[in-house]
Amino acid sequence: MGEETTKEEEEEFEPKIVGFTCNWCTYAAADLAGTSRKKYPPNSRIIRLMCSARLDPMFVLKALLNGADGVFFSGCHPGECHYIKGNFYARRRIAAIRTILKQLGLDNRFKSYWISASEGEKFANTMKGLAEEIKELGPSPLRGKVL
Amino acid sequence: MKGVERKSGDLEGLFKGLLDKKAVDCLILPHRVGNNVAHMMVTDKEKIESPVPAIFAPSFSVNAANVVKGWTIGEKIGIVAKPCEIRAAIELIKLKQMDKESALLISVDCSGAFTNQDYADHAEEIGDWVDSAKVEELKGKGIAIREACEICDKRLADVGDIGIVRRDGDNVTVVGITDMGVEALSAIEDISLEDKDIDRSEETEKIVAEAKKKKEALPEISSVEALEEFLRDCIVCKNCRDMCPVCYCKECFFDQPLGNPVGGDLLNIAELRGAIAVPANQLMYHLTRVYHVSTTCVGCGACEDACPKDIPLTRLYPVIAEKVQEIFEYVPGKDVEEPLPFTVYEEEELEDKLR
Ligand code: SF4
Ligand code: SF4
Ligand code: SF4
Repeated sequence: MGEETTKEEEEEFEPKIVGFTCNWCTYAAADLAGTSRKKYPPNSRIIRLMCSARLDPMFVLKALLNGADGVFFSGCHPGECHYIKGNFYARRRIAAIRTILKQLGLDNRFKSYWISASEGEKFANTMKGLAEEIKELGPSPLRGKVL
Repeated sequence: MKGVERKSGDLEGLFKGLLDKKAVDCLILPHRVGNNVAHMMVTDKEKIESPVPAIFAPSFSVNAANVVKGWTIGEKIGIVAKPCEIRAAIELIKLKQMDKESALLISVDCSGAFTNQDYADHAEEIGDWVDSAKVEELKGKGIAIREACEICDKRLADVGDIGIVRRDGDNVTVVGITDMGVEALSAIEDISLEDKDIDRSEETEKIVAEAKKKKEALPEISSVEALEEFLRDCIVCKNCRDMCPVCYCKECFFDQPLGNPVGGDLLNIAELRGAIAVPANQLMYHLTRVYHVSTTCVGCGACEDACPKDIPLTRLYPVIAEKVQEIFEYVPGKDVEEPLPFTVYEEEELEDKLR
């Protein structure tokens, strides 16, 4: 994508979003959304992790630097981690990396949620909302850069 | 607090005593090298130079903690250094890169330091010790302390096991901060400790206020574009990592194939993206490092000093790290018993920082 996007192109902009989800909750919720035919936009590519705590903030950096327009993470609600406390540790790391991204004006391109296995509908709605938010922001400033 | 009075030129006995009484097996401390100051590791007390005012010299070479990173042997080492070096050592203890019992940490009051180059060029004028008035006077002549020091608000010798505090003139008070420190001092023959009432709150306030002003005046890196421009000349030599006392991985990601792709790997990535910057991973390297030192960066400026391309890294590392430290209300190197932020959690916290 070039520097100057025409109005038409902007309207057509379909964001690329990379999602990291925990196997025990949000990944199942995405499944549930699918099997119960809840519609949500197809912008997200989802990568399954075995636990929130597997989310290395470097994954987020790498996705953004490779031109993802948005990145999200979603895991079990605090207190409901399959491994008891993985998401408590993850939350600290997420807060830290978002603080760093905020400095560069990139924090609004990385969002985190808590979505349990039974919340298929919440997952679909969250994806809808996220796609809209990122669309609103436009293409990532890192897209297409020689990095 | 227990302490003892000395003259700044009369500290030799203290260090000799520590070695003599086996309070430590060796000492790392600054010493004169020509026009400049560097660290040495001493085991023989006769090698302690007399007098030893080099410990106060406002010159920064290596962060002494970086030298003892991985000091996991039982022998006890005494480190005489500036507060930022001692704070880095404390972080290394928490990171299990050093054993608490095998380090006697001795902090020395600091007024801010010049780069080795600036110090050597103006050694005569700068001398062995500068107070804040002298720092300003020199600045007027175009000789300025490092940017890391200008924004440093933790320059007083109140960390570690022992503190060496400058009073007026050449009066110095040596205080035991921890039990280990008091014990080490008490072992020395000609030292008899007295109760000291040292209140430095006024001094601290002044330093904090001045540092804050300087910090606010620093140019901010506030966008991706600004960061790209800031790092424009970076050749990814990773000196900033190697000289950083709190960057401690035995096998850095950026020395491995994924982080440092060569040959076919490099070509594959170029093919995938059409074009890539080389050396590869410049932005990824720095952003990863910012994250990795985000809770432990002590703001010593060793990274900036080490950069062959003169990139003012103080504006990147300590400045962003401080923002992360703020959300965890964590001050690196302040308290050896306080857990590292990423090793603990509260059940309810930080929800406003997630989306
Ligand atoms: S960063 Fe602070 S403690 Fe370290 S040399 Fe500079 S002023 Fe001194
Ligand atoms: S020392 Fe300077 S040139 Fe080398 S990697 Fe760090 S910023 Fe880049
Ligand atoms: S990042 Fe730079 S300022 Fe921070 S601890 Fe490492 S060398 Fe010192």
